[in-house]
Amino acid sequence: MTANKSAPDIITLKIVSDPQNVSLLGEAISALCLYATKNEKCAQDIQLAVIEALNNVILHAYKNQVGNDIIVQWRQTTGCLSVEITDFGVSMKSIPPGSFPEFEAENGRGWWIINACVDEYYYKVVEFIERERVCTPSPKDEAFDAISVTSSKNTLTLIKHF
Amino acid sequence: MILHERKHNDIDIIELSGRFIMADTPEVRIRLTSLIKGGGGKLIIDLEKVTFIDSSACAVLISAFKNMQIKSGHLVLVTSPVVQSLIELTRLHTIFEISPNLASALDALESK
Repeated sequence: MTANKSAPDIITLKIVSDPQNVSLLGEAISALCLYATKNEKCAQDIQLAVIEALNNVILHAYKNQVGNDIIVQWRQTTGCLSVEITDFGVSMKSIPPGSFPEFEAENGRGWWIINACVDEYYYKVVEFIERERVCTPSPKDEAFDAISVTSSKNTLTLIKHF
Repeated sequence: MILHERKHNDIDIIELSGRFIMADTPEVRIRLTSLIKGGGGKLIIDLEKVTFIDSSACAVLISAFKNMQIKSGHLVLVTSPVVQSLIELTRLHTIFEISPNLASALDALESK
């Protein structure tokens, strides 16, 4: 894990997508939140939401492939903490509802937990596109114009007031 | 995460300590599956020393619960405050039998 402090209240942490790295990052976020809020419950809640979000990135955005970048930016403003989790994998079409799964379902509780642990969250996708145009000598022929998404930058922002 | 197995009379006990999150789930799932398959139908999962747990760990506990149901056995969880908090948040306290410590979990299973 690498860390960078770019401004007084912004700290950026970077890991590669490996479940073994999640715990250390979670503890680092918890320590930062505890330092900022002096509130153990608040730090615990944010850590839990961040770990659930990181699990989702590894499982769904990166399909369990090890070695892809995950950037976590912790930010403090007056009475508010935010954590941005950025990946470059498969984007979500929308945020899954934080609804409760069947009692004996083994999966599907992550978003319920995130929903319960933070006050607000939103998901932003920046798509990098490749645009292809084919021109012919005849001005009557229409140029072929194809656009495809080559990669995307996905950021989940978690916000907690204290 | 550290994992220990032991036996008390006919009761299997698996004790976990430290952080129990996604990275640990494959090992715990394998150990629990093996213990339930080869055991006598009474199991305590002692999480009293677990300091952090996430939903993927909960998934392993649910899997153990379902495997134990198939065997018509009994599973009791011993929880720490952190574990109890997540189990209540995810409403799993409505399906698991939970004891506050190992002694009461043993009492609960010895009477079955």
